[in-house]
Amino acid sequence: MKILIPLKQVPDSTVRVKVAPDGKAIVTEGITWSISPYDEYAIEMALERKDADASTVVAVVTVGPARSRDALRQALAMGCDEASLVTADAAAPLAVARALAKVVEETKPDLVLCGKQASDDDQGFVGPALAEILGWPHVATITKVVPVEGGVELWREVEGGHEVWKAPLPGLATVHKSEKEPRYPSLPGIMKAKKKEIPERALAAMGVDASGPTWTILSMEPPPARGGGKILKDGDTKQIAEQLATALRDEAKVL
Amino acid sequence: MKTLVVAERKGTELRRVTLELAAKAGELGDATVVEIAGERYSPLPFVSALAKKVESEKPDLVLLGATLNGRDLAARLAARLGRAYAADVTGLRAAGTSLEADKPMYAGKVRARVRLDLPAVVSVRPGAIPLNAGAEAPQVQKIDADTSAEKLTFVKLAATATDTKRVSLSEARVVVSGGRGLKGPENWHLVEELADALGGAVGASRAVTDAGWRPNEEQVGQTGKTVTPDLYVALGISGAIQHLAGMTSSKVIVAVNKDPDADIFKIADYGVVADVFEFVPAFTDAVKRARAQ
Ligand SMILES: Cc1cc2nc3c(=O)[nH]c(=O)nc-3n(C[C@H](O)[C@H](O)[C@H](O)COP(=O)(O)OP(=O)(O)OC[C@H]3O[C@@H](n4cnc5c(N)ncnc54)[C@H](O)[C@@H]3O)c2cc1C
Ligand SMILES: Nc1ncnc2c1ncn2[C@@H]1O[C@H](COP(=O)(O)O)[C@@H](O)[C@H]1O
Repeated sequence: MKILIPLKQVPDSTVRVKVAPDGKAIVTEGITWSISPYDEYAIEMALERKDADASTVVAVVTVGPARSRDALRQALAMGCDEASLVTADAAAPLAVARALAKVVEETKPDLVLCGKQASDDDQGFVGPALAEILGWPHVATITKVVPVEGGVELWREVEGGHEVWKAPLPGLATVHKSEKEPRYPSLPGIMKAKKKEIPERALAAMGVDASGPTWTILSMEPPPARGGGKILKDGDTKQIAEQLATALRDEAKVL
Repeated sequence: MKTLVVAERKGTELRRVTLELAAKAGELGDATVVEIAGERYSPLPFVSALAKKVESEKPDLVLLGATLNGRDLAARLAARLGRAYAADVTGLRAAGTSLEADKPMYAGKVRARVRLDLPAVVSVRPGAIPLNAGAEAPQVQKIDADTSAEKLTFVKLAATATDTKRVSLSEARVVVSGGRGLKGPENWHLVEELADALGGAVGASRAVTDAGWRPNEEQVGQTGKTVTPDLYVALGISGAIQHLAGMTSSKVIVAVNKDPDADIFKIADYGVVADVFEFVPAFTDAVKRARAQ
């Protein structure tokens, strides 16, 4: 089975995101970039398939600026087999999906796994949009993939349990979580990844329609700052518990 | 502005978010509320039926709840119709011939204000739109899911034994979350008893869901749920930046941790430096008494 994972490079989850002085973008200077967390889960899910069946091929692709190459390198170091870069400094989300659809048509994966949303725009658009352009069904927010006769079983967590859907191949799913934590790149993995070729081409040269609705960012701000409040420490456990309950009722008015 | 609201039901009742959307749509102008009737959500049958309705009614705006299924359907609908799309917005205003939305970005670490051209599709975070007490349930038109579009086969529902009597995490006004400090799943009755005393939902840190102590659906944070309750209680949670991303917008935050230097205290309105095993039962009792008075 060939699995393709479209991934996005985003600020690492440990970055304390700061808004730029113009209030319309974030400060990107000096920050650490990583594979978006749900895409990492998708990679782990695919690599678990490869662990179970060595004939599995795992490929990654991204549409983004030149720095995105590092994210592809990171995916190769985790154990992915192939990576390719489509360069674009900024592209409408629908154009990204169209470029990915073209890559899918050319490379013919059996299964495409997208993250459920990217940790920069927090949209969750590109996965369903890619399925839509390909005319494929998709299953959203899965946590498990099991190959079965004639397709795959995809598990998705819903309130109170898991829905299990059978999808024909080729198919697409968006990933919420893998069964295990995403693996760290191994040292031999890093060495091997360094030697791999990462082909590159420009989105503008792919012959896909680059138009599509976008939004205009009017302003950005951090969530309101919170100072540390009161530490309750006078008295024994029971007294502090009483003080806290009373404060929540009478002062904060949330009981 | 002409708005089409997509209703969602939990059991036989409309979800609260549907009432919130209907209220918002009414405020913006003409509102129609539709419900897609189908046994369970599946993208193609639902999007096919909805797209047809949108093409015949031509609303300027389609509003869905930013629920698990609502977000998915909204994205696919926006792609099918080539409409502008914003997910999980927390505020919405008409601005001439366009729309202004408040939109969390960077895993909730930034709040952006964005302008979308109409026609647009927007999913709105449950609880973000204030609802007047006694708001009436809207008139709902039913349309049938287009089962002829289905390419998937439903196999089964593997139910987990979660307690359905509690409110769902993303809609709860009170959330009590437990972290690794609880030491194991066998101690979760402490979290549940406090949540019940407060009438709230139960959440968890990723350390807890990763360890399999609690189901993923209870995880709060960057790769879990974003919650904005009136009261958030963090028990034995250190306050990692990825956890904070999911709960810092709560109105009041209470933290209980035995480490006085834990980061969670930097954002808590009320902190207690204590052992959860000793403090939580006493606090649960105190809450019951405070609420009874
Ligand atoms: C990409 C990415 C995404 C992530 N997403 C999330 C997310 O969505 N949500 C999330 O929560 N985390 C997330 N994390 C993980 C996060 O970095 C932390 O590892 C996690 O939040 C820690 O959980 P914890 O606070 O329960 O555990 P710990 O950090 O181990 O903290 C346990 C706390 O309990 C206290 N304690 C111990 N015993 C007691 C006791 N008896 N009484 C009182 N206090 C006690 C300790 O002092 C400590 O502060 C993510 C990480 C990454 C890299
Ligand atoms: N520029 C991109 N290049 C490749 N894949 C992408 C890109 N943007 C989004 N994706 C994929 O689509 C998912 C959802 O992204 P988004 O719609 O931006 O929230 C991501 O988790 C990726 O799997």
